[in-house]
Formats: sequence, structure tokens, C-alpha cells
Amino acid sequence: MSTRFRTLTPALTAATALLATLVVAAALLALGGYPPGDAFAALFRGAFGTWDRFVSFTLVRATPLLLTGLAIAFAFRARVWNIGAEGQLHAGALAAVAVAVALPGAHGLVVIPATLLAAAAAGALWASAPAAMKTGMGVGEVITTLLMNFVALFMAQFLVQGPLREDRGVFNQTNEIPPAAHLPDLIPGTRLHLGFLIGILIAIALWLYLTRTPGGFRLRAVGASPRAAEVSGRFRAQPVVWLAFLASGAIAGLAGGVQVAGVTHRMYEGLSPGWGYTAIAVALLARLNPLAVVVTAIVFGALSAGGGAMQRDAGVPEVWVRGIEALVILAVLAVDRSWQALTSRGSRG
Amino acid sequence: MAEFGALSSFLVAAVGLAVPLALAALGETVSERAGVINIGLEGSVIWGALGGALGALALGPYGGLAVGVLAGGMAALVFAAFAVWLNTDQIITGTAVTIGSLGFTGAVFQSRFGATGLALELPTVPAWEVPLLARIPAVGPAFFDQAVTAYLAYLLVPVLGWFLFRTRRGLALRAVGESPEAAHAAGVPVVWTRMLAVVFAGLAAGLAGAHLSLVHTGTFAENMSAGKGFIAIAVVVLGRWNPKWVIAAALFFGGAEALQFALQAVDADLPYPLFLALPYVLSLAALAGWFGRSQAPRGLALPWPR
Amino acid sequence: MRDALRLRGVTRRFGPVIALDEVDFALAPGEIHGLLGENGAGKTTLARVAAGILQPDAGRVEIGGQPLGNGGVGVARALGVAMVHQHFSLVPRFTGFENVALFDVAAWTRRGTLRSGYRDRVEARAGELRLAVELDAPIRGLGVVARQRVEILKALMGDTRVLLLDEPTAVLAPQEVEGLFAVLRQVARAGAGIVLVAHKLDEVLAAADRVTVLRRGQWVMTRAAAEVSARELAEAMVGAGVGVRGGGGVEATAGGARAPEFGAAAGDVVAELRDVTVAAGGSLPLRGVSMQVRRGEILGIAGVGGNGQRTLAAVLAGMRLPDSGEVQLPEEVGWIPQDRTNEGLVNEFTISENVAFAVHDRSEYRKGPWLDWAGVEETASALVRDMDVRADSPAVTASVLSGGNQQKVVTGREFLRSGNLLVAESPTRGLDVKATLAVRARIGEIARSGGRPPGVVLISADLDEVLELSDRIAVMVRGRLIPVPREDHNPAAIGELMLSARREGAP
Repeated sequence: MSTRFRTLTPALTAATALLATLVVAAALLALGGYPPGDAFAALFRGAFGTWDRFVSFTLVRATPLLLTGLAIAFAFRARVWNIGAEGQLHAGALAAVAVAVALPGAHGLVVIPATLLAAAAAGALWASAPAAMKTGMGVGEVITTLLMNFVALFMAQFLVQGPLREDRGVFNQTNEIPPAAHLPDLIPGTRLHLGFLIGILIAIALWLYLTRTPGGFRLRAVGASPRAAEVSGRFRAQPVVWLAFLASGAIAGLAGGVQVAGVTHRMYEGLSPGWGYTAIAVALLARLNPLAVVVTAIVFGALSAGGGAMQRDAGVPEVWVRGIEALVILAVLAVDRSWQALTSRGSRG
Repeated sequence: MAEFGALSSFLVAAVGLAVPLALAALGETVSERAGVINIGLEGSVIWGALGGALGALALGPYGGLAVGVLAGGMAALVFAAFAVWLNTDQIITGTAVTIGSLGFTGAVFQSRFGATGLALELPTVPAWEVPLLARIPAVGPAFFDQAVTAYLAYLLVPVLGWFLFRTRRGLALRAVGESPEAAHAAGVPVVWTRMLAVVFAGLAAGLAGAHLSLVHTGTFAENMSAGKGFIAIAVVVLGRWNPKWVIAAALFFGGAEALQFALQAVDADLPYPLFLALPYVLSLAALAGWFGRSQAPRGLALPWPR
Repeated sequence: MRDALRLRGVTRRFGPVIALDEVDFALAPGEIHGLLGENGAGKTTLARVAAGILQPDAGRVEIGGQPLGNGGVGVARALGVAMVHQHFSLVPRFTGFENVALFDVAAWTRRGTLRSGYRDRVEARAGELRLAVELDAPIRGLGVVARQRVEILKALMGDTRVLLLDEPTAVLAPQEVEGLFAVLRQVARAGAGIVLVAHKLDEVLAAADRVTVLRRGQWVMTRAAAEVSARELAEAMVGAGVGVRGGGGVEATAGGARAPEFGAAAGDVVAELRDVTVAAGGSLPLRGVSMQVRRGEILGIAGVGGNGQRTLAAVLAGMRLPDSGEVQLPEEVGWIPQDRTNEGLVNEFTISENVAFAVHDRSEYRKGPWLDWAGVEETASALVRDMDVRADSPAVTASVLSGGNQQKVVTGREFLRSGNLLVAESPTRGLDVKATLAVRARIGEIARSGGRPPGVVLISADLDEVLELSDRIAVMVRGRLIPVPREDHNPAAIGELMLSARREGAP
């Protein structure tokens, strides 16, 4: 996967894909009877209109996408098709709430790391089932990670309706976590929290790991050709596949923990509007490069932040944003292919 | 008949729930036999449901079914254009088609019926009772007092079995899935075979979606496909890519889902989300237990650069 | 008489590479026409264009006077063209019969179901051709010879006017080649024209009526086989001015075995297998294999492909543990794997990254937790220079290198691991003459180098290569390793050994 993406300078591809998306989305909006100009303008204002819109909305919404996007990019680099970030995120959020609520009197320096570690561990645990099924039984991870998403969703539903339901018993949600467990603000006066910085640090760490360490080299090799890795590299692909699953699951789980500790301060049904799936678009647009994920997550954060404004100011239903995300993925795929078709006739034959 | 009451109503529910799974999975069986795994099947199901709803309002229930089928086929055509024609990655493309379908069906629905939307009431497809067969105790009404969609699912089993294993085109299609190089060298048009197989799967999944809106519920709601397309893909694996086992696996899942409703009826306090998770957990368990003995087409999910 | 097959000015490109450059070619009915050329000369491309599998970029193909156009395989088939591929084009999960039926339009009724009595026709045709074909077993369970029979029967079921065979002898032992040629002569007598793509000159001269030579995608000569010498053909293949002193098929006609030169006197034992058995678990088994490898020697292992050589290589490389028996191996083993493109290299990686496979876990290429890419780059630059790899820099992606240069990279990288033992598996398969000579020379040099040379195990289906390089020779048959006495180091004796145990083991 990763290396197909070397053919065209990544930024150029991404820009072309975004432009294509814009054109197709505009055509579809016009077809649906909405003036595309108004819709895009409202979307842009909602995302970048003011400093506070940008920081408190776009960047805050970009944070879970940044983390899940990194999770996907890392797994895909090893050719582990983890479609299960959504479930891993839910597992992480649940674990974060459970740990934070269980430590009411603890200091923030204790409870915050404990909360986030629990979230990461839960995400990794959630990813370990598909990992075991792939490495041990040869069951493809695409279906298993997908199915695990639904299990996580219903488990979360069950927990917030029953065992973890708030003491007031009004809504299907958990108690609020203690204030000590709230992530501190990153920029005073805005809602941007520490989670965004954590995401950027993880992006840098993953990039260094992939490009500068022997382990990262092995992971890229397994992603490019497991057979060559085993024969030429004399190392087994399996541990690498496990690492990819667990790290990916942990980062996606962390996304859930960060969201709970930084924004919602509690868990409820429908915590995620599908970040785990949007993350696929985020990672692909970034050509699976962790540093580029920071940028693409902000792009999708802007889409999300602007979606509300688009509905309010231009009357375009917010669900359009999901459709546009899909268009981005398809545009990236198509631009990549077209470029290949232009540069070579293919070597088969 | 009375002594069969509980069992009979359970079976009726089980078959009703199994039909959309069976339709989508039978279609996907053909697609996977040709070497294409379409995660976008979920998208075809939701388009089928919406197409069915809109079609039924304009043309009546049977017209609705037809529109639903076409809508599912259109979604699959988009997938095929990318994954087969342009040779993009099947899994990523399928995911995109699913995300986009859930988004755009919602957009279409909201623009037509408003964002909050009162519960939509649709003309439904009535059940047809098959004379004599429907009188068999317990099983009769379950299998033979169903809507036309169920009978189409039954019919697909022998037809697809015959097509896949007894005809030249079936052999060619399986060859495309097993070894596209060999099929190409034998003069089989790989790309067209795959395109047609994917679109067929989309048509069947569209019918499954139309069943959800026009037979099962009589309404449309956003995201009402609720993972049926994904479960259908697991059903194909459990059914070992063979139509007769695929429909058996679909019935098994229909039964699991029906059981959850039956148990809720017995005790309302049972934690229903856990039962909702049950089919997915069963899918996972079944995949783990069965996969070692089943054989996926060798060329599944592999691209074929023209 | 009308030509069975005619190519007029056919050009075909793959990206920037011109595989066929305005080539003319004519095949008469009833003739066996040898098509010679080095690897990459365009032989296979020509055959695939004639079979309709590839479309020409320019020029025309006519079958029995009818233009093929862009009709593809279906039209070519209808005009009576069939092709036997080097890497067979059979569906592995299908039975032989299903593979035959898939290819044959006449097998099916208008409704698309199988014609009654078709099975009998297949069996009758196999009888006519004296081909013992296994029709009911899935292809993947069959050996290469049995697969080839299915492939040939498949090609000859219909009214075949043109039969194209791509390197059909590559998988056969010398004695089996004669059987194949007998079938071909029979088919030619019945009026079909046959194109025999090959690289072994003596075989082509023995079987063909006429011979055409291609070089770098261009037509060089067409001559009657009786009027041309092996030397003339060899020179035509490689072009004037290239010293041909060994290598592949050329060597075979130029005098067969050459006396192996002993370098350093065989030294201490670097690897030993004692009674090693590996059960068949997805790969071919080894049965009671014992061997010793000493420093400075080349131990050649000949044998028809698929007799357990791959398993033996994996055991020697330390990648596979035996089920029983003892194995003593050095800590690090150089291993040039058989499948260069899928196993020896990651095509999308740069030369440096591919070299890193050998050194990325060594402490001298570490700086704290980091991999010292500058150090890897230096090593890769040295390798590019020493191995004479044609590349601008080690930052070049492996996929843009020619097959020969790719193999030089793999060979050079594995030399980095070959302090004690080097296992070379078909190291020159698919390379052109120049690259073949270069790779063979390097392997010879490393074993003869001064100081502490490694022991080398050379596993190759190419008998000439084994004879040329080896100090000692053994033959691999059905998982057993049979030593060949020095006086039997000649093609006839070894060929006999390669087949003997197969006969004994056959049911």
C-alpha cells in the first residue's frame, strides 16, 4: 500500500484529490438543489471563520480523527486492514471512564495517565481478538474488525444503560469523571485540550519509528511483502502483524480516552459519529504518512466543524459531510490510479 | 395449530429476518467466487431500502422492490467502477462506498422528508401463502407464507448452484476468482466477469434492502441497514461460498436474531443490547471455528491489472 | 501454401521497454519452428501476441490468412491458436478435466452446459496423443510433468492449427524432453504449425525444422535447422563482440561439462545435516538427507524442480526446522532464494532498503535505538560498485532494475551474510547471458577467495550450471539426496539419476 503512494508527490495527489472532491461535491449539491457556493462558504466560515472556531471547533474535532487516523495509517503500513478503530475507540472510552470514576480523590498526575493508559490498553485488547484470529486461524481481519465494531457499540450501549449508568438515572450515560481527570487546556481561553498535543507527539513518534528504526523497517517490509520479509529479512511476519494490531488498537483506544477526558467527561451512546471510519479517509489522504495525518485530520476536523454551520446557514443537512468523506477516499484512489495509468501501461505480460 | 404457536411465530420471525441476509449473501457469493469482496455491500443494502421506499411511494410496493434492486445495483456499479475497472483496493473502496452510501441516503432522505422526519409509512409487500405447503404445521407458515422476496431467495439457491457448478459461464466465473491469469489465458474476459458479478451482488443486496423497508418494517430510517451487509459477508464465509450452505448460514443468523426478540418478549428486563450484539459475536465465533476448513477463492481481493 | 501464422511488423512496448520491435515472423503448417533468444529478447511476448493474450501496439497478426485484429484470446482460439505457457495457465483448484473444458468452446452446449460425451472425447484425444493425463485430480496436487500434460492436452483439444509452446522443456529432465518432442512431431505431421520457444540450442536443433532468432526485441535471422550451427545461433543471440565462454544453453552445445577448478583446498566443515527428515506440510518433504559442506568448496545439487530442493534450501538457511535428524549451521547464512522478485527483493524498496535486510539488526548499523541509514547507504554503494549493478545510486527503486541487476543486488546482499555458508538457489534462472556469467563468476570467486572462504551449496535445475561450478555434485530426487561419483559428472549420467528414483518410486 504505502509504496504505491510514492509515484506522485503525495501533497500533489492529495491536493488533486481534494479538488476533484470539491468539484464532484459541488455538482452533487447543485443536483440536490443547494447552491454549492453558499454551502462551501458556510462550511468554511464554520471551520475557519474565527480563531475560536478554528481552535475550539476544528482542532478539537480533529483530535479524535488525528489519533484514529494514526491508528489506521500505522496498521495499513503493515498491511493490516484494521477497519475496527471505531470499536477500539469505544473500548478505550469505556475503560477510561471506568478508571477515572474509580479514582475519585486521586491527583491529576495520577488519574490522567491511569485513564489514558487504561484506554490504550482496552483498545489494544479489543484489537487482539482479530489479531489472534488472523495470525492463529487465518481469518481475514477486515470482517472480524468490522464485526468487533458492532460488538463494542452494543457493549457500550449495554454498559451505559445498566452497570455504568449515571447515579441520577436520568439519561443513558455514565457519571461525570472527577475534575482531576479532565485533560488540561492547551491554549487558555479555548476548548483545545492536551489530547491534540498528545496526537502530534504520537505522530512524530510513529514517523520516527517507521523511518528511523530497525523495527519500523521490518514493519514496512512486512507491509510491502511478507514473503520477502521472511526470506530476505529472516524475520517472522507474525510478531510484526501483532505489533501493528496492538499499537493500532492502543492508539484508537487512546482516541476514545482522550475524547472522554478532554471533551465529554463522560461516556454515552453515540459518543463517536463514526470517527473510526472517517479515519480511513484521513489516513489515506495522508498517504499513510503519520506526519501528514496531522494535516489531513485538521482538514476532516474542519469538515466536521463546518458541517453544523453548513446545515444552519445554508440548510444543507450535516449528513452530507459523510458523503463528502467517501468522495475524498474515492478521489484519492482514482487520482492515484490515473497517475499510474498515465506513467506506464502496466508490466503484466 | 395452537400447540405450535410459539415455535411457529419464532420461525416466522427467523425466516423473515434471514431473507435479507440470504439475498445479500447469495449475491455476494457470486461476487466473491469471481474474486471480488465487496465491503460496500452495506451501501447497496441501504440504497435498496431507500430506493424501495421512494419507489413504493411512487409506484406501489412491487414497483418499490424493482427500484430498490436497481438502486442497490447502482451502488455496486460505483464500487465496481473503482475496484474492478480502475483496480483500486477492494477493501478501501468498499469502505468508502459504505460510508458514502450511508451519508448520501441520509441526505436524500432528509431533503425529501425533512431532518426530523415523522415515521414514514410505506405501502408494504403482502405475504403470499403457498397453497398446501403453508399448511404444514409450524414450518409451513414460516417458509411458505412470506413475501415474494423470500421465494426469490429460495429460488436463487438452485439457480446459482446450477449456474456456478454446471455451466460454462459459472466455471469461467469461478476460474476468474481462483486464478485470473489462467482465466484470461483461456479467453475469459476477467474484468467484465467481475463487473457483472459485482453488479449482480449489488442487485441482490438492493432487494435485501427493499425487503427491509417494504416487507420487514414498512418504513425507512437512516442507517436502517444496521450492518446487515457486513453480516452477509460473514454469512458467505460461513456458507463456504456455496449457495446451499450460504442460505443455511443465513437462516442460522435469522434464528439467532429472532431468538433475541423471543427472549425479550418473555422478560422485558433482559439487557437487549447484549442480544443485539449476539449475531455479531456468533459470526466471530463461527468464523473462528469454521474458517480453517473452508476455502476462499484464491484470487479473492487481489487486483487484476488489465 | 498459406502460412499458419504470420506476424507483420509487430511492435509491442511495456512502458518504456520495447519488447518487440517491428518483428516479422512466418510459421508454415506442419513445421516445428524454434524461436530462440536470450531472456528478454521478446520470445514470450511474440508468442503471447500471436495467442491474442497481448495486443500489439503496431503491426498485424494473421492466423491462416485471417487477421487477428484486437479480438483477443477468444478470436485467436477460434482461429485455431493454442498456447502452452511456461508458468502453466491452469486453475490450481480445478481438476484437469475442468481446466480442459474451460478452454474448449466445443465442450459446451448452446445452453452453456457440458455436452454429453465430452468426457469420452477428452479421453480419446489423450489416447491419440499418447498422453497419460490425470483428469480428475485438482491441478495443485500434480507434479510439473503431469501439469504440462494437462496443459498440452488442453491446447490440442480443438482443431489446433497453431501451437505455441513457451519453454516447455524447462521443467523436464533430459529423457522426458524426447517424449514431449515425439508428441510434437505427431501434431506437426497432422498439419499444425508449432512454435517452440526455447533457450537450449541443442534441443531446438534436434526438434525444429526452422529456427528464428530474436535479439532485444528485433528479428535477427531465420534459417533451416539443418543448415545452421549452434555457434552461429549463439552468436546471433548475443550479438557480435560478446565473448561467449559459458552460460546457459550456449555452454551445453559448446562442449558440456568442464572440469571444475579447485580453489582453496576444502577446509573445515561449516554446515552439516545428518539424516534430516521434514514431513510434507505444504512443501515437498525431505527424507533422510545427510550432507557436509566445507569451506572453499561448491557443492552442486542438481535435480528436476520440485523434488524437495526448496525445502532443503529453507533448512540450510535456518528458516525451517527438521522433524527429525541433526542440523549444524553457522549463525548466519547467505541465501539467494529462487524467487527473486517475490522473495529476494521488495520491489518498491530502494537498493539500500533491500540491502538493509542483511544488516538492519547488526550492532554496527545501530546508533542507539536508530538504524544507521548512512551506514547502510555506504554498504549499498559499495555493493553497487563491486557487483557492477547498473544503477545511478543506491536510492534507486529495485523495480526499475533489470532482472540481471536485481539478481546482482540479491547476490551481493547475501554475500554480506556469507562468512561461512552461502546457499544459492537457481541463481541465474531467467537471466541473460551476460548477467548469468557475472553471477556465476561471483559465486565462483567467493568460494575460491583466499583467507576463510565460505562453503557454497548451489541448488539448480540447470545441469550445465551445476557441472560448470561444482566441486562435488549430488542429485535431489523425491526428497532424497544422492551423491554423484566424480566419474559420473556428465549430463547423461546425472540425467539418468534424476529420473531413476522417480521410476522406482512411481506406482
